[in-house]
Amino acid sequence: MAEIKHAAYICKGCELGSRLDAAALVKVATKDGKMPLVREHDFLCSAEGVAMIKNDIANEGVTHAAICACSRRAKTEAFNFPTVAVSRGNLREGVIWIRPDTDEARETTQEMAEDYVRMACAEVKAMKVPEGNQNTGTSKTLLVVGGGMSGMTAALEAAKTGYKVVLVEKTGALGGMAGQLWKRIPNREPFKAPMDSGVADLVAQIEADASIKVYLNAVIAKTSGAPGRFRVDIAVESGPTVTEDIGAIIQATGFTPYDVNKLGKLGGGQANVVDQLGLEALAKSANGGAIKRADGKDVKSAVFVQCAGQRDTSGEHLSYCSGHCCATSVKQAMYFKDANPDVETVILFTDLRMPGNNEDFYRAAQNKGIVFRKGEVSNVSGGDTCKVQFKDLILDEDTSTDADIVVLATGMVPTTGPDLDQLSEANRAAEGGDTTAKEQVVQMMSKSVLNLDYRQGPDVPQFKHGFNDSHFICFPYETRRTAIYAAGPVRRPMDIAQAQEDATGAAMKAIQAIENAGLGKAAHPRSGDLSFPSVRLEGCTQCKRCTVECPFGAIDEDEKRFPLFNESRCRRCGTCMGACPVRVISFENYSVNTVGAQIKAVDIPDEFSEKPRVLILACENDAYPALDMAGMNRNAYDPFVRIIPVRCLGSVNTIWITDALNSGYDGVMLMGCKHGDQYQCHFVKGSELGRYRMSKVYDTLKGMNLETERLMDLEVAITDVDTLPQKINDYAAKIVEMGMSPFKGL
Amino acid sequence: MTVATNQTILVVGGGIAGMTAALEAAETGKQVVLVEKNPYLGGRTVQLYRYFPKMCHPTCGLEINLRRLKANPRIQVLTMAEVTGISGDKGNYSVNVKLAPRFVNENCTACGECNKAATSEIDDAFNYDLGKVKAAYLPNDMAYPQRYVIDPSVVGTAEGQAIKAACKYGAVDLDMKEEVVTLNAGAIVWATGWQPYDAAKITPYRYGEFKNVITNVEFERLADPHGPTGGKILRPSDGKEAKNVAFIQCAGSRDENHLRHCSRFCCMASLKQTRYVQEAFGDAGKSTIYYIDIRAIDRFEDFYQEVKANPNVSFVKSKVARISEDKNGDPRLWGVNTEGYKRYSEPHDLVVLAVGMEPSVKNVAIPAEVMGDSSGFVMADPSNAGIFGAGCATNALDVNRAVQSATAAALRAVQVVNQVARAEA
Amino acid sequence: MSDMNQQMAAKYQGNFLKEIEEQAETGEWVKMCMQCGVCSGSCPTNFHPGWEHPPQEIFMMIRAGKREEVLSSQSMWMCVSCYNCYVRCPRKVPITHIMHGIAEYAYRIGRAPKNQPTLHLSQTFWNNATKTGRVNEVQLTQTLYFKDGIASGIKKAMAMQDVALGLVKAGRLNLMEAIGGGHKCKDIKGIHAMLAKAKELEAQRKGRAA
Repeated sequence: MAEIKHAAYICKGCELGSRLDAAALVKVATKDGKMPLVREHDFLCSAEGVAMIKNDIANEGVTHAAICACSRRAKTEAFNFPTVAVSRGNLREGVIWIRPDTDEARETTQEMAEDYVRMACAEVKAMKVPEGNQNTGTSKTLLVVGGGMSGMTAALEAAKTGYKVVLVEKTGALGGMAGQLWKRIPNREPFKAPMDSGVADLVAQIEADASIKVYLNAVIAKTSGAPGRFRVDIAVESGPTVTEDIGAIIQATGFTPYDVNKLGKLGGGQANVVDQLGLEALAKSANGGAIKRADGKDVKSAVFVQCAGQRDTSGEHLSYCSGHCCATSVKQAMYFKDANPDVETVILFTDLRMPGNNEDFYRAAQNKGIVFRKGEVSNVSGGDTCKVQFKDLILDEDTSTDADIVVLATGMVPTTGPDLDQLSEANRAAEGGDTTAKEQVVQMMSKSVLNLDYRQGPDVPQFKHGFNDSHFICFPYETRRTAIYAAGPVRRPMDIAQAQEDATGAAMKAIQAIENAGLGKAAHPRSGDLSFPSVRLEGCTQCKRCTVECPFGAIDEDEKRFPLFNESRCRRCGTCMGACPVRVISFENYSVNTVGAQIKAVDIPDEFSEKPRVLILACENDAYPALDMAGMNRNAYDPFVRIIPVRCLGSVNTIWITDALNSGYDGVMLMGCKHGDQYQCHFVKGSELGRYRMSKVYDTLKGMNLETERLMDLEVAITDVDTLPQKINDYAAKIVEMGMSPFKGL
Repeated sequence: MTVATNQTILVVGGGIAGMTAALEAAETGKQVVLVEKNPYLGGRTVQLYRYFPKMCHPTCGLEINLRRLKANPRIQVLTMAEVTGISGDKGNYSVNVKLAPRFVNENCTACGECNKAATSEIDDAFNYDLGKVKAAYLPNDMAYPQRYVIDPSVVGTAEGQAIKAACKYGAVDLDMKEEVVTLNAGAIVWATGWQPYDAAKITPYRYGEFKNVITNVEFERLADPHGPTGGKILRPSDGKEAKNVAFIQCAGSRDENHLRHCSRFCCMASLKQTRYVQEAFGDAGKSTIYYIDIRAIDRFEDFYQEVKANPNVSFVKSKVARISEDKNGDPRLWGVNTEGYKRYSEPHDLVVLAVGMEPSVKNVAIPAEVMGDSSGFVMADPSNAGIFGAGCATNALDVNRAVQSATAAALRAVQVVNQVARAEA
Repeated sequence: MSDMNQQMAAKYQGNFLKEIEEQAETGEWVKMCMQCGVCSGSCPTNFHPGWEHPPQEIFMMIRAGKREEVLSSQSMWMCVSCYNCYVRCPRKVPITHIMHGIAEYAYRIGRAPKNQPTLHLSQTFWNNATKTGRVNEVQLTQTLYFKDGIASGIKKAMAMQDVALGLVKAGRLNLMEAIGGGHKCKDIKGIHAMLAKAKELEAQRKGRAA
């Protein structure tokens, strides 16, 4: 191994040179930072400055560089030295830009800068350049579960990109729900008539594609391993179980229509009252001719009831909107009109939801004579003559209409596996000896789609209403199981056009996951990160906190009940590191040490100095940029705070807090993202877990005879640029009021 | 120097769709050139205050995307750049890119000295011209590249010289000229996004004439703490707090006199904006949404139900016929609530027109043969060869769906360059 | 005439939308309305109490099969042909024309409201103009003014006397036309033949009740 050489670089540009005593900073880096090589430069990010650093790396053997200049978010192209460990001392946005340029402020500003130099030196010394996860797999095959429109599209798109695909379909034929349709909603100009579903064409393409292997009548019996090296057991009906090596997985298991029999008031289950899929079957058998009812009678009039058991506020049925059903009813009413314009078709709706160019489809429907009425349906009775009672909201009157057939536009129920929270609850009860819970577990497990042998359950965690959706608006594919993506109506209610687009996107993400897993790189949001958690098992107490808390299900337990890290599943948030009570988990460039050393590096003035010290651990995704922007806007804040960015609040180990308070810091502030239902944490559970842990620290504080207010937990959004400085100042003022920590100088 | 080969993917448009397409492709190991017309990335999303339905901030996702971008050496970004010509075919395009002068080079440290030296002011495009900025400016706090821009109006003036002199790092270069570079690319992702429909064309609403009739995109800037009013919802005519706000849906959309299509996002945007009113004024803030159909699709319905349950928000099923102005500057809405024929003539403090999405491609023609639909959106078609639409260039989409579309477009582009790679291997 | 009404009702068996589509001029546009109400709000007579059903509501009533209420409604007769509704309609529905179309149909089958002033004006004008091929303005005015009796006629005439005198002075009104037929076109027979043919052609073209 090459020799380690540390160096520090102090920039004097952007007024750093005039506002700060650079010579003193050099001294601090040399003496306190113990840097053998310290250089200052008038304009460090200039070509010349960068060349100087590069020269040191090439010719002076520098392996670790502490760059004390601007924020780590600035000048990233200039300060890009991938072969060495780099820390950034934030003297600009973090010091001179948030301090007034006055004689009065000079001393505390300088002290602040000196501390940041000490911290940058301490941090870089504790860092290593990540070498990348070596425990990678080599499989570049994509597994697609579900052979409907979404699954077939994902398979074909992946194959077109040059990847092998294994497609597993539960039934005996490809096509899924789309295969049961007579026609589909048009997805291109002129948006005027139903069009061929295209299922047969996709099936033919799949059959002709040698890189797609199809298993029909098959389900996933077991999925083990990690991205790039999944081992998937496929149980084929009346055949042996097959095992495939898989790189990434797309779950495209679709939906089932909401059970129409639950809609008694709307005539569900009664004669000649069908759901949309029921009508598709009738249209299919009519094959373009007059549509007949189940009893063989020609339909002369049809009424469509929108939002049947959907958008339900009573809590009894589905509360969401399935999005496609307005256009689907329009399409189905066209089936009647196209076969015989004299068939009367009425669509009863409250809000007609046909976005985009579907507006043209709506126009075409009106043009064909389909009648639209804004009405709330109260009752439907089936029979030879069906009766629909409703309130016409435009004419403001209760009325009714008769029809030969009534079509209920019911919603989509996703075909996801068991809800993991409910499952783990049942599991706990079952372990406690509850026999009903045991049966429940068996029943729930039978619903599993992927049968992952993950410590945290057999399927992908669900979001709202049981869908495998992402919570993130900017990142629709973020499932909580790395390299497993959901596509189509299992992710969110959608029509065929959207499902195909979605499946193509999911294929992109799955292929990307395969490639990055192979290179030992992290997936979103720390894409490309080569660091990964390593554990010192000798020190592990098998407390299981890491395995339980990992938001991504990356950690299993081995036979000896030690944590088993699956690096390729890991998203590098550091939640495990924050959770570990014995601190045996670390990343090469981010560890209990890299932060701990910074905390220790800060100079703590004695209790009579009137210079308190407040440690701020700020989420690097939102709070730290907000602080940076506060600097850019020259929003001043207290000079006694020392800020350390963390990957996520979830990575904060309580030792940092207790150590800080033990060593004389007067207060600790945590800044993390919103948690709860509308969480904004990029690692889903990180900020929530971090906060939960911190609530335990309050007891420790009491044990130390310290005021609990010395630990403050602040929810910060990236836009809190103007309010954050005030909050910092308020906290600092509170600390002053409280008085200095009694732990100083101990 | 921009390096590009026939295995490069060119992404046109650096909004959230373009950034996504570029990142997804680059993170799969592909070489990408990202071309953006503005001096910064992020597009229209950065100009939004919050996203529906989570009420979270667009800059939060942008920060992650920028970090992905900064960490990825495979993406080259060209800002203030526009594609002016495309020739060649799938697998081997030659693309002309016009680069407008920024007058600031990569030496810029974003220290802001040039801004201090500037004296003249120009319209603040980032805030839809609702405010002013100095002629040497950083477009917004999240601007990437984090580099100032100098307005061409000061070039050749004494002010320009003063700005140049203020920069200690030789970053100001007033001699920069517009240039055209030619790049090679195997596939092109067209993600030029959308523009708000020109509200002045909807004559009965008197936009541009009545100051207190504004658009939904402008309202985002009013609500944003970093907007021209510091986040206070003040009406333009007299700076009075706008506590009684009307939202007019389908302002231009679903209308054969304007945009044929439904723009999809505007119902949700207005529902979200009622929250801004609530947030600013509590129970004193009243919102009224005038609508034809509330299109809160899929789980957005939850959001609609929440807003509907708010007693401070009312819904009127009506396309507003016209707006007049009361003496005190209140815009007065005239029309009929069609649920039971109820005539109204209601004054409000402020009217927000929920203007629709017009594809930018409609106005900025793609310099290549590409299929478009009747609204001017790029339509997927095999005849488009190696050019793929993404995001709102293809359809009226919300952010989430635009990102989905961009991810799909990235794969289509990857398929082309993979084919090229296989052919050349 | 009321036979015609019954015939039509029987022919369409409650499908009033179809009846309007086939029988009323531009009636085929009724189905295109999406109930946004911009027409109703744009109507200058919107705040007139006689305006019982605005256009969009009439269209909904047609779809709901409210035959009697629509045909006997005063509303269509209230249209002043300002075309605000038509130019603002997002579906480009020719609302003004439809209003007239329905009104004309109601009249044709004898279901128009009795003593409807607009109807009276239209009828008077039509009779006056088609009789000789030219409008006799004095007689037209007389018929209108004295519609509700002599006293009210004199009152109206007195109120308008300044305007009338102005018209006379300007040579726009010939009081002599009060007696005799007034000026006529040269070929009255020809005009009548043309009108009869036009009526026949229209009925043929649309298969409408004559």
